[in-house]
Amino acid sequence: MSSTYGVVAVTLVSLATLGIGAFGLRISRTTSDFYVASRSISPTLNASAIGGEYLSAASFLGTAGLVLAYGADVLWYPIGWTTGYLLLLVFVAAPLRRSGAYTIPDFALQRLGSAAVRLAASLLVVGVGWLYLLPQFQGAGLVLHTVTGAPRWLGVALVAAIVVLNVVAGGMRSITLVQAFQYWLKLTALLVPLFFLVAAWTGDGRPAPAAGTGWFEPFGAPDAQGLYVVYSVMIATFLGTMGLPHVVVRFYTNPDGRAARRTTVIVLVLLGTFYLLPTLYGVLGRIYAPDLVGTDRADTVVLALPARVLEGAGADVLTALLTAGAFAAFLSTSSGLTMSIAGVLGQEVRRVPPLGRRLGGVAALRVSAVACVLVPVVLALVAEPIPVATSVVFAFALAASTFCPLLVLGIWWRGLTAPGAMAGLLAGGLTAGAATVVTIAASPEGWIGTLLGQPAAWSVPIGFVTTIGVSLATRRHVPPDVTRTMVRLHTPERAALSR
Amino acid sequence: MAEKVSPQVHAAYERIHASPEFAELKGNYLRFVVPMTVGFMVWYLLYVVCSNWAPGLMGTKVLGNVNVALLFGLLQFLTTFGIAFWYSRYSARRMDPLADALRADFEDEVER
Repeated sequence: MSSTYGVVAVTLVSLATLGIGAFGLRISRTTSDFYVASRSISPTLNASAIGGEYLSAASFLGTAGLVLAYGADVLWYPIGWTTGYLLLLVFVAAPLRRSGAYTIPDFALQRLGSAAVRLAASLLVVGVGWLYLLPQFQGAGLVLHTVTGAPRWLGVALVAAIVVLNVVAGGMRSITLVQAFQYWLKLTALLVPLFFLVAAWTGDGRPAPAAGTGWFEPFGAPDAQGLYVVYSVMIATFLGTMGLPHVVVRFYTNPDGRAARRTTVIVLVLLGTFYLLPTLYGVLGRIYAPDLVGTDRADTVVLALPARVLEGAGADVLTALLTAGAFAAFLSTSSGLTMSIAGVLGQEVRRVPPLGRRLGGVAALRVSAVACVLVPVVLALVAEPIPVATSVVFAFALAASTFCPLLVLGIWWRGLTAPGAMAGLLAGGLTAGAATVVTIAASPEGWIGTLLGQPAAWSVPIGFVTTIGVSLATRRHVPPDVTRTMVRLHTPERAALSR
Repeated sequence: MAEKVSPQVHAAYERIHASPEFAELKGNYLRFVVPMTVGFMVWYLLYVVCSNWAPGLMGTKVLGNVNVALLFGLLQFLTTFGIAFWYSRYSARRMDPLADALRADFEDEVER
């Protein structure tokens, strides 16, 4: 396979990303522009941006890899990712937008009036962000290596550099434009090659994928462990979406709560449409690339298909298009994540006395963006590659164990107290965090390995029970202004903002 | 929340919170969300349960190589859109008017 097309594709996507970012730079001037694009993004543009940001490497490459390896019923991952949005819409979207805070830590401060809870939430935002950035960077290295033969560190460095440049230069408004563009690029990149692949498949009369016995059973293991894994993935993806920093911050860029709801409905349509495509790639992979099953290269099935089905320059062009889509996936998700964790870190940095006085809001954001990217880049270069779809589940599990109780109880339960929230964040964060570290460092076998590898099914209940229990035990710490907060969260903005 | 408000504004918030309209607003919300959440959770769990314990049923071919598992999976996506769209409509019809009325009340009271 010629690598020239791949290099051209990656270069074009990178240039387009930087170009659109530079265009955004010309119109973003204030701190509000930087953090939340001055809350003036229309639902359709915002929904495209959310779709662009949410469809990460795990969606673009990982879903096909899973379907290839396990069969049609791992539709579970995309369904979980989509349903997470539904729960976000129903329980969190409009009230969170009405709270008027920029980030989850700010929401914690407003609702509970506790600087300690805000700090704990900020640290968790950074933790979740790093866990999610790591597979994006590793994936970028893998893709560039597969397509062009370049060393893995080059892809990591390239994506990290572009993301930092864009965040540092343009902030949220340029990121929004970049991501909206990347959603449509990703959709095109999967759709166009699929037509050719399916046409070639029907033309050459190969049989439909052989339905081996394992292919219809969850995760190929119809035992208690397999079932546990399915439930745990469900809990993590259903409840974790609302706690992902780059997803939540998007609701602040809507003009009001009603627009936040409309945005979410459009997002669901965009996500659902998208997820059908990698699934079909997985099915085609069963016919043309069965040798990738069970290897660490199952994630590259999307990129490998054109060369196996078609011949000549056509295959090269289609591979290049898919590479462009994959790179768009890395860039958009990493940009959104970096933007939101840098936003949180930037606000924390400004609260440290000697630094805060010297740095303006925008400068603090820029410094934080560099810091936020450096850690996962180093980890991506040092750590062993893990399949993208499984590693993002850790980020979902951590978010589900900590931010889901904080948001759901904070919005819907008057009894939440600052000590309760703190205890919940610590309990959920420490259990899910420890499980992640042990799994990545030691990867234990058997039931212990399964329980630690998919912690959500036990760490989320621990988070909820701790939050509720400690809140009930510290009832006198219920914030005195909880009534006012509740009215503000549940009535539209003009009432909420007038004082 | 940290910022100071006048006793008058505080009283307005207290009154709205105690008003039957605010209770109705929250009631309408819960009446929709609780049955819906239970319903869609059962529907999603059914898919997992069937894949696990009824592989024969899930593997039944409906049309060509399209089997029940695949159709079931696609239906899950469709129902997710359906519920989201329905919720958005319901909020706009049954919740936003109430919330708007509360907002108008609040502004009257505070400006007086």
